[in-house]
Amino acid sequence: MRRFRELVGVAISGLTARKIRTALIMLGPILGVAAIVAAIGINESSKGHLKAKLQELGTDLIVVNASTGMGFGQDPVIEAAAVSRVSRLPDVTAVTGTRQLSDIVTVPFEGAEDYYRAFPVPVIASGLSLPKTLEVPMVSGRFLNDYDRDSGARVAVIGRDLADEYGYLAGEPRTILLNGLEYGVVGVLDWVLLEPSMDSAVFVTFTSAVEDWELDEPDPSRLYVRAPTHTSLVAAEIPTVVSLGGPDGANASVPTDLLDAQSQVDESLNNLTKMMGGLALVVGGVGIANVMSISVIQRSSEIGIRRALGHNRGTIAVQFLFEALVVGVFGGVLGALVGAGVVWGVAEQRGYTMVLSVAGLVAWALVSVGVAVVAGLYPSSKAARLEPLETLRLG
Amino acid sequence: MTEASPPGEMTGPQVVLALEGVSRVYGTEVLVRALDDVSLDIWAGEYLSIVGPSGSGKSTMLGLLGVLDLPTEGAIRVWGTDVTCLADGERSRLRGEAIGFVFQQFHLIPHLTALGNVETALLYKGLSARERRGRAMAALEQVGLEARFDHRPVQLSGGEQQRVAIARAISTDPGVVLADEPTGALDSRNADNVMQIFEDLRSPERAICTVTHDLSVANAAQRKISMLDGRIVSDEMLSHDQGVGT
Repeated sequence: MRRFRELVGVAISGLTARKIRTALIMLGPILGVAAIVAAIGINESSKGHLKAKLQELGTDLIVVNASTGMGFGQDPVIEAAAVSRVSRLPDVTAVTGTRQLSDIVTVPFEGAEDYYRAFPVPVIASGLSLPKTLEVPMVSGRFLNDYDRDSGARVAVIGRDLADEYGYLAGEPRTILLNGLEYGVVGVLDWVLLEPSMDSAVFVTFTSAVEDWELDEPDPSRLYVRAPTHTSLVAAEIPTVVSLGGPDGANASVPTDLLDAQSQVDESLNNLTKMMGGLALVVGGVGIANVMSISVIQRSSEIGIRRALGHNRGTIAVQFLFEALVVGVFGGVLGALVGAGVVWGVAEQRGYTMVLSVAGLVAWALVSVGVAVVAGLYPSSKAARLEPLETLRLG
Repeated sequence: MTEASPPGEMTGPQVVLALEGVSRVYGTEVLVRALDDVSLDIWAGEYLSIVGPSGSGKSTMLGLLGVLDLPTEGAIRVWGTDVTCLADGERSRLRGEAIGFVFQQFHLIPHLTALGNVETALLYKGLSARERRGRAMAALEQVGLEARFDHRPVQLSGGEQQRVAIARAISTDPGVVLADEPTGALDSRNADNVMQIFEDLRSPERAICTVTHDLSVANAAQRKISMLDGRIVSDEMLSHDQGVGT
């Protein structure tokens, strides 16, 4: 133990005597470990964020988009009757159709037309069960109901961001102008994670869309379907149920699968960054071997003196190996800290919850130590082989 | 294997270092016989000098006496043990215990303080940090440099650096101090100081051996060995108070 302490002391004194050189050779392990730790940490934090999002959305929501059928030149739609066919499928608990309307200028008050013509607000004709299907609550008021649909009343629900933009107060009697027609705002829908565009949209009934905007039929172009069980099977069944062999087709997908796919893409990026970090570690190792080999030549006189003082070849080799070891340990620890700092910074900036494994940090720091020790093998054996008589120049 | 060690009880003069029929040949195609069948005993307590012109084999002999090199033929005995038969670890241990070196160019480790340089000779000997430091400070006191223990070589004069080197050489209490041109890089005043220190270091247990061109340094010894062409050509006793020649 005493010998170990003496060796560590000699190694540290050798390194601190040449601080800049030591700092430079430590850069390799620092950058390598920092890159790997940051890549893994950011990916894990981002995946954690995605998982939270998936949890919130649920994994049982199916989105059905109308695909182009035989009617060229027309926007693809799903006939209204198909909505009730889908709703009758086993495992389906809620279905809502929507259709985005075009060429409608929405303004919160008269005189703002020019601005809102330049920055149009999406207007969506929606079924009545959208909050239930998307599992999104109302911030205030209510959603569109049967009476609105049956009477054709000019009422609208607005997204939460639009309500903030308009300065809408909960319960406030307020009207907005859709192409000059006054619509009463009856409620504000909370943020929709799956469809962020809905946060700044206006929702009206299909009846209003047909009566005020000359929509031919109250046919949606998109369906949101909630199927808590056998979600994938239901999603696979829906196109057939919608088209019934006819020309009007539909594509069904589960958005959470897309998020999963997104996390897979992140995994590939993560692997690439890990490889680059590993490369930085290897290059760092080559740097350590290179600089330490030069150092052995520069310090040949010191090696000769130590040999003359009774230090044997093994001790000289271990002294240089310990110098490499100390570089690896400090480089690894600093690299892990820098990497953790980067993960923290990115998580703060993007609003992720920081996910970092302490075991991972330790493991990568140990990899750095391993690389440094392997890199130190050649210079240390070279130092041990030096003949003291050749380095001391007697006489 | 017989462990070499200094004699526990002095019953008379002991041979510390001995060369027995030693030759050293360099080269593979062109052979240079730097040392040719040399025998020499160095006794505890004696002060000897080795002189000779360049190429006479002085440095080769110093390397062999210091166990920094091995002979092509013959044996080197340290406290009676033939080191040519030992492995590197054992040979190094013996060198560290039996022999202290003083070099012309001082050869201090530049990033260490005077104390650190002296302590280097005491590493890996099973001493505690406190013991090591105490012995190193005692050695610095012997050469009058205890007040400058925390100075680095660059902050010391040439004479002071050589005194640190001497402190390093004696810190392990070796059986012999081998000095290679110890005054070669010093002015006359510092050279006189160093020679005085060598004179003061003489003790019945420790031999001092200097290799030099300088006749005044050589004549300060009690025994002078002259070399030429790799052979000892004379072995003179300059004073007769103690010591035995071959």
